[in-house]
Amino acid sequence: MSDPVERPADAATPPARPGPDLSSPLPAVAPRVPVISVRGVRKSFKIGDRSLEILHGIDLDLNPGELVALVGSSGAGKSTLLHILGLLDRPTEGQVNVLARDAWSRSIAERAALRNKEIGFVFQFYHLLSELTALENALLPAMIAESRLGYSRRRRDYEGRARELLDRFGMTPRLTHRPPQLSGGEKQRVAMARALLHNPKVLLADEPTGNLDSATGEKVLELLFEEQKRREFTMVLVTHDERIARLCRRTLHMEDGEIQADSTVPVPD
Amino acid sequence: MFRSFLSWRYLTARRTNLIGIGGIFIGVFALILILSIMTGFLDESKKAIRRSLSDIIITPAKLDPTVPSDAEPLLSKVRAHPGVAAAAPHLNWFALITLPGNTADAFSERFLSSSEHSETAGVQLVGVDVHTDKRIAAAAACVVPRLFGLDLRPPRIQDEFDTSELLAALSRESKVGAQVANPLFPFAQPPMASTRERPLPAVVLGEQLLYRLNLGRGSQIQLSTGVRDPEAKEWVFNNRRFVVAGSFRSTENDMDLGRIYMEREELADFLGGTQQYSEVLVRLEDYDEDGERICEELRTELAEAGLIAGGYYRAGEVRTWEQYRGNILGAIKNERVLMMIMLSLVLLVAGFTVFAILSMMVTEKRRDIGILAAIGATPKGVLDLFLMIAFWDALIGAALGAIFGTWAALKIDPIERWLSSHLNFWPFPEEGVQIFDRNVYLFDYIPTIVQPYAVAAIVLGAFFCALLFAAIPAFRAARMDPLEALRYE
Ligand SMILES: Nc1ncnc2c1ncn2[C@@H]1O[C@H](COP(=O)(O)OP(=O)(O)OP(=O)(O)O)[C@@H](O)[C@H]1O
Ligand SMILES: [Mg+2]
Repeated sequence: MSDPVERPADAATPPARPGPDLSSPLPAVAPRVPVISVRGVRKSFKIGDRSLEILHGIDLDLNPGELVALVGSSGAGKSTLLHILGLLDRPTEGQVNVLARDAWSRSIAERAALRNKEIGFVFQFYHLLSELTALENALLPAMIAESRLGYSRRRRDYEGRARELLDRFGMTPRLTHRPPQLSGGEKQRVAMARALLHNPKVLLADEPTGNLDSATGEKVLELLFEEQKRREFTMVLVTHDERIARLCRRTLHMEDGEIQADSTVPVPD
Repeated sequence: MFRSFLSWRYLTARRTNLIGIGGIFIGVFALILILSIMTGFLDESKKAIRRSLSDIIITPAKLDPTVPSDAEPLLSKVRAHPGVAAAAPHLNWFALITLPGNTADAFSERFLSSSEHSETAGVQLVGVDVHTDKRIAAAAACVVPRLFGLDLRPPRIQDEFDTSELLAALSRESKVGAQVANPLFPFAQPPMASTRERPLPAVVLGEQLLYRLNLGRGSQIQLSTGVRDPEAKEWVFNNRRFVVAGSFRSTENDMDLGRIYMEREELADFLGGTQQYSEVLVRLEDYDEDGERICEELRTELAEAGLIAGGYYRAGEVRTWEQYRGNILGAIKNERVLMMIMLSLVLLVAGFTVFAILSMMVTEKRRDIGILAAIGATPKGVLDLFLMIAFWDALIGAALGAIFGTWAALKIDPIERWLSSHLNFWPFPEEGVQIFDRNVYLFDYIPTIVQPYAVAAIVLGAFFCALLFAAIPAFRAARMDPLEALRYE
């Protein structure tokens, strides 16, 4: 099945990077240009005929390779902001620039391609397709990106990447298992492999360990941090855990729909 | 690529999809089977409606004194047309049938007055050209060339006889009648005819007539008829005895009950030479190809030559058999179209099962739709995904339906027999059920005609219905807000 809609998007974004060649540096994005930058973002939800504003004007730059913790009390609007950063939700007001271009003035297909290739999502509830095996779940972004012909041509490459990711996450013995047969920690590892398949520039993780016991959660986070160090993608990690937040150099503190504090720990040289 | 992969995975992972496939399967299967049987029945009834009619029937206006009483000018004109394969004149007349002889006289009188038998008393006489002597001579002439491997046969004489349906009627197996010895020479003297100085002319009776009058080959009958004496200018009655050479079985009961065939010359002689022919039956080289056109050509040609024209009383007619039985054929065609429309409802039902299953699936897979959107599927991709499930449903269901439907249509006879004999358990009667009563129809099998284009149309219709109905839930899935879908647990 060729897909006429996704093709132009393909061309707009850099072509699939060759393999998980981890020794090579990230493709050039000028270090000063933020990967995602939002300006004056407001978001309100309509409840009945009343409109409730949740985000009250957020300005934020996410720089390449940054590791950012997003903390704040429940209901502060962390998830809402993350969805806006990930182009899953449209701000009521304000601009979302991804790779220095206004994402919401692009076409639907281009936005979909950005979500597919440049932004990875890890959810609290894993969100895997239960009909697919672990390997197939991890391969899903590639299947979405490619036409039938393109996929069969690059299948070995994609499979190699997915297997390697899953292998690093210790999932090799469970490649053909389906989500209902996996534990929570295992599911989250598969979800992480899926998010990283296309080697995205940003990974947005919304309480990835929120549903795991602390030992498992720690192990999963360890893998995630390791991968971030290796690939140097920008990562935004929503968490309630102070200890986890301290592992990140930059911390955003959200309260009542506003960023109250944005602190960066200086590099301890 | 995920569309084909995922749609197939959803299809195989969810048993409920079997309902969609099953719906389309049953729809296509039933439609092909029913349509094939109905086409078969309609075709049979079309044949039955055609009965003995030849391709074109020429009925000159015999009431018009300007129309020649001899068939020859008309015949030669018709035969000269390049599209005509054969033309044969028929002479029709009516007569009263009685049984001659001392003992039989009283019997004849009784059955003339009997209400039960009076219907057999009046019979239609049909004189046909069999050309017995010419054919014998021609057949003899062909013997020597045949020895040298040449298949030579005198075409015209043979063809003319074929033109009347008599040959088929004579060859048809008969339960109550007595078949003639050789259908090619129907009016040959039967072997049991009593030897006299002058043999009686031979006739062939419809099998029902033969049976009712308790006759057999070699029996004698007497025919009485009125003819006009041209010299005395008044009606006189004529009696003549005939010997029964055998019986025929047509496909029509009233013909078997009231028709007697004899040589046309013999009948003309019986009528005192006043009548030569009533109509001319024409067989074309290829009726289906250009029957209407040739009919039209013959009509103008014969009218110009004054061979059929009447005008004063009634115009002579040249008609194809379809024009002859026009209104009944029209009704049959109507019925077919009506049935097609009504049966298409089966496909709508099949489409509806796809709709129901897919709607269920879209609701059930709401979270998956959100996930797909989150990792980069476009709304169109989601739309295609669900349309594709319907496509698989239609593909599998229609393919199986077409295969089994065609198979069942071709093998309906053994299937019906098997069912009839095996449905003998409760709540069916012990001796089994007769699904198709073979005595009701003229044919003792279930006629089916599988038309490839009809099968193709049904399969296409199934696809169309499935995709049309699937479009509704598929659009719903495509329009879903990914976040809302993700929140769904
Ligand atoms: N679709 C929606 N419609 C109405 N209100 C919403 C919707 N989504 C979120 N909200 C509201 O917005 C506020 C912020 O929600 P959000 O999920 O962003 O909080 P959060 O910081 O992620 O909280 P938590 O730590 O519990 O996940 C909440 O009060 C919530 O009720
Ligand atoms: Mg949240």
